[in-house]
Amino acid sequence: MRLETFSYLPGMSAEQLAQQIRSILRRHLVVGIEFSTSPDPYDHYWTMWKIPLFDTDDPAAVLAELDACRQANPGAYVKINGYDPVRQGQVVSFVASQPERGS
Amino acid sequence: MFEAGVREYREVYWTPGYQPRETDVLAAFRLIPQPGVAPEEAAAAVAAESSTATWTTVWTDRLTTLERYKARVYDIEPVPGRENQYLAYIAYPLELFEEGSVTSMMASITGNVFGFKAIRALRLEDLRIPVAYVTTFQGPPNGIQVERDKLNKYGRPLLGATLKPKLGLSARNYGRACFELLRGGLDFTKDDENITSQPFMRWGDRFQFVMEAVRKAEEETGERKGHYLNVTAPDCEQMLERAEFAREIGSPIIMHDFLVGGFAAHATLSRWCRRNGMLLHVHRALHAVIDRQKDHGIHFRVLAKWLRLAGGDHLHTGTVVGKLEGDREATIGVVDLLREGFVPADRSRGIYFDQEWASLPAVLPAASGGIHVWHMPALVEIFGDDSVLQFGGGSAGHPQGSRAGATANRVALEACVQARNEGRDLTAEGPEILKRAAGQSPELAAALDTWREIRFDFEAVDTPDVMPA
Repeated sequence: MRLETFSYLPGMSAEQLAQQIRSILRRHLVVGIEFSTSPDPYDHYWTMWKIPLFDTDDPAAVLAELDACRQANPGAYVKINGYDPVRQGQVVSFVASQPERGS
Repeated sequence: MFEAGVREYREVYWTPGYQPRETDVLAAFRLIPQPGVAPEEAAAAVAAESSTATWTTVWTDRLTTLERYKARVYDIEPVPGRENQYLAYIAYPLELFEEGSVTSMMASITGNVFGFKAIRALRLEDLRIPVAYVTTFQGPPNGIQVERDKLNKYGRPLLGATLKPKLGLSARNYGRACFELLRGGLDFTKDDENITSQPFMRWGDRFQFVMEAVRKAEEETGERKGHYLNVTAPDCEQMLERAEFAREIGSPIIMHDFLVGGFAAHATLSRWCRRNGMLLHVHRALHAVIDRQKDHGIHFRVLAKWLRLAGGDHLHTGTVVGKLEGDREATIGVVDLLREGFVPADRSRGIYFDQEWASLPAVLPAASGGIHVWHMPALVEIFGDDSVLQFGGGSAGHPQGSRAGATANRVALEACVQARNEGRDLTAEGPEILKRAAGQSPELAAALDTWREIRFDFEAVDTPDVMPA
């Protein structure tokens, strides 16, 4: 099972993950977190973890939400998205947490 | 009163100082007059013959108002460093063109004038399409964002490969080649432009075997996959028949060769794609015949603008670094014209006019032709995320086969994107980033080894002129 962007690289360390989140925030994108227990490439709607973090510019706050989502949904895949309200679309999305990778 | 006879074109069509209207179509022509012909007269001849005039006055001129319909040469400048070569700027009133019609623009602006005896050579460098005209076109059937949303692919260039050998595989073998590439990590595979429906592989057989490969690779990887099924056909009825069948068997994308098929056929197919939610990959066979020579023809940026108007979701633009012609700055200029909502004039990129696209959807540039893993850092740097990078030989040429080749490219791509997002400089650190990623990927390590020394360092035939500011 591959899950799109970065799924061909080894799992990211906490620091590498923080760097990707910083890059999303640097581009002034809105971070969103979504999760699913049964990822399917045709599924456009994973479950949202809260609403997107519209006013967050702190990577630590994003990581805390990511952890909270993992805790509340053990065994789920968790995605981090970067949304551009001007373009009205996601421009970044990758799976940050994969149960079979133990991350 | 009607005065029969021949007047010099410049008396009517050379209007220095004319302020172009916002609604005018503006053209920049590179012009070499025949010896003894004044540049003003040669340029005026181009304006005249591509709008209202013929070689002699005619009484029927008096039935209309030339002031309303004539094209005007409003500026001429010599090209620095080239003897007897000029840039002529011509403004065309919008009323000269049919709404939503690229063929109308082509017939007028690139019609008779290119064969005019008084002109030794003529090249259409750029065309400003006024926004009032832009909004009469539907443009790309999907656009970049809709394609990403449909396919669930974000934050990286898409990866493709053209199947090789170009010709001669049976449909079943062809499907196998697709399957290996897609399961290895590519997003798309592609018919080469010369694959249509030959005796060794009829289109219907190809479509079915390929779609089996696409479905199976999706099941195995959990990612969306596609194959650009070429529907370029001997006639429009067969083109649409192939497109319909591609839709019936669930293909997300088809392919058309827009110059070979022609703009009218292409526009028909583009409309069909929009109606049917189909992605449209556009190949550009024939383009170099038209656009490669610096002094004569049509620059590719004009063909690309026309394609964005007529509609297409991907268009081949050249790679800068691979085996095919393309100056770096001029290619980046074309990429901007395909992707951005507004592109300012920038002579260093060969862009002569501001171009406003209003809300016309964007086209993904496809970089294809002689590229391999070592090029990946430069390609990510040049093209950014919104592009399709096509590694044909650079995938199937891998010593362990297509699947490993595809994986090598996908690993290299993701390593470059990750490093770029971390703020690292891909130009300076590219090789190191690739080598480090290869430490975890034997496929990438083998690919780096195979293509270490392959470069295509030839000077571009066509480059932008550097004009004084």
